[in-house]
Amino acid sequence: MKQRKFRTALGVIFSTFEMTLRQNVIDSFILFTILVQPILIALLAIWMLRDQAANHAIFIVIGSGMTGLWSSLLFVSGNSINVERWIGTLESLVASPSPLPWVILGKNLAHVTQSLVSMILSYFLAALIFNLELDIVNPGVFIGSLMLTIVAFVCFGAIIAPIFVMNPGVQGFQNAMEFPVYILCGFLFPIAMLPEWTTPLSYALSPYWAARALHGTSSGALDLPEVLFSWLMLVLFSVGSALLSAFLFRVMLRKARREATLGLE
Amino acid sequence: MIKHIRLFFQGALLSYKALFRWLRPVTYLASKIIMPLNQILFFTFLGMYASGQQNASFYIIGNAVQMAAISGIYGVTMSIGGDRWEGTLPYLFGTPSNRLVLFFGRGFFHILDGFLGVWIGLFLGVILLGLDLSAANFPALLLIILVTTFSTSGLGLLLGCLSLITRNVMFVNNTVYFLLLIFAGANVPIETLPSWMRSISYALPLTRGISTTRAAVAGETGSVIMPVLSQEFLIGLGYMLLGFILFRWFEQAAKRRGTLEAM
Repeated sequence: MKQRKFRTALGVIFSTFEMTLRQNVIDSFILFTILVQPILIALLAIWMLRDQAANHAIFIVIGSGMTGLWSSLLFVSGNSINVERWIGTLESLVASPSPLPWVILGKNLAHVTQSLVSMILSYFLAALIFNLELDIVNPGVFIGSLMLTIVAFVCFGAIIAPIFVMNPGVQGFQNAMEFPVYILCGFLFPIAMLPEWTTPLSYALSPYWAARALHGTSSGALDLPEVLFSWLMLVLFSVGSALLSAFLFRVMLRKARREATLGLE
Repeated sequence: MIKHIRLFFQGALLSYKALFRWLRPVTYLASKIIMPLNQILFFTFLGMYASGQQNASFYIIGNAVQMAAISGIYGVTMSIGGDRWEGTLPYLFGTPSNRLVLFFGRGFFHILDGFLGVWIGLFLGVILLGLDLSAANFPALLLIILVTTFSTSGLGLLLGCLSLITRNVMFVNNTVYFLLLIFAGANVPIETLPSWMRSISYALPLTRGISTTRAAVAGETGSVIMPVLSQEFLIGLGYMLLGFILFRWFEQAAKRRGTLEAM
């Protein structure tokens, strides 16, 4: 029985994943967020760090890719429930036998996976156009970090989406939330440059640990225990986010059904 | 004449109110202060990481002046495109109102808004990042920022016309905004760009605005600043006129083809 339920869940997640990928490739806003903006940021960073670009190439590629991941999480995954409301499919989705969190999980997985394309494109931009050498020092550990990053971002997105639905006031700050995470998580410069009081804020954000793990494993700046610590933090944040998101989904759906506001903005 | 002046100001005020009135004050402030501040901080820290703390003012000034593009591009474009999205375009084109007054009116409040935005950016740069304005030529700075927001709104008016013929204008806006971050010299000294990129830079509004702002902050006099600033003004005017030609062309083409409301 449990096995069948698991297989059904996977089926729902996979079909949502596939459909979201298909929808995203024709959405110009999403294409800008996950492809154009990170590439332009990479281009800008390469130019700004031109004197040191040879040493920083992989740092720039990963950092600009992370900006794409975060922007996609904030603007695309963050709206993954709201968008169903805007196009009038939320009621049918909630009424269907498939639990809403599985559907949103599949959507977020598609958004995050698609955002990684920006990292690959930045890689080719730096390698082919700027002739920069791009070596990943620990490829195996890097792939591990990438996998955990995807999981952490998907879980983080599952918190943001119900929060935006329940608190339109918070969503009003969506535009203002993009750059602070770029800054606090050390995507393109070390957080040591920031005032000391901001460090706890960085530690409280899972994208910081993702950036630390990815930068550290690609450049070889982190030793194994440090990498494992970053991984542990990513796992803890993922589990915490998943539990919090399950709670938020329950509250959101109960509130929407009780107040009959499911389809209302 | 009075009729035209009234149309200009009424149209300008109503289109500005239509764009922002529905927002909560906190949300309005978030997009006017918090977002620009964070952008200035991000690029200034990135710049300091790239070239040292001694160059911080280069990035603070560049990115503060870039704020003109938020109002100039996004605000103006959405003011023009708003008529199409909200379904008021057929009524607008059905009126006998003077199109020139109507079109330029759409940019008026965004010029003032952008002017204020740049000053807020510079003020935050002083408070939070220690930007030194002690040697600044303030009268020149006032004029430069006004002309720069005017010229950037010229580009916005041109892009706004695109919103009358395409649904993907936000893609165009976002791309142009980020390209300005590269080409206009906010973060990369123009002299270090390849010559083909420099040619693009000098054909854009904002480029000369940023360079003259840096000169005015360094205390340069009007004789150095004015020739460059007049070029910035003419470029902005050129974009506005090009936008107006496109606006008129779109109106005639849409009426002829019956596509005024086509999305």
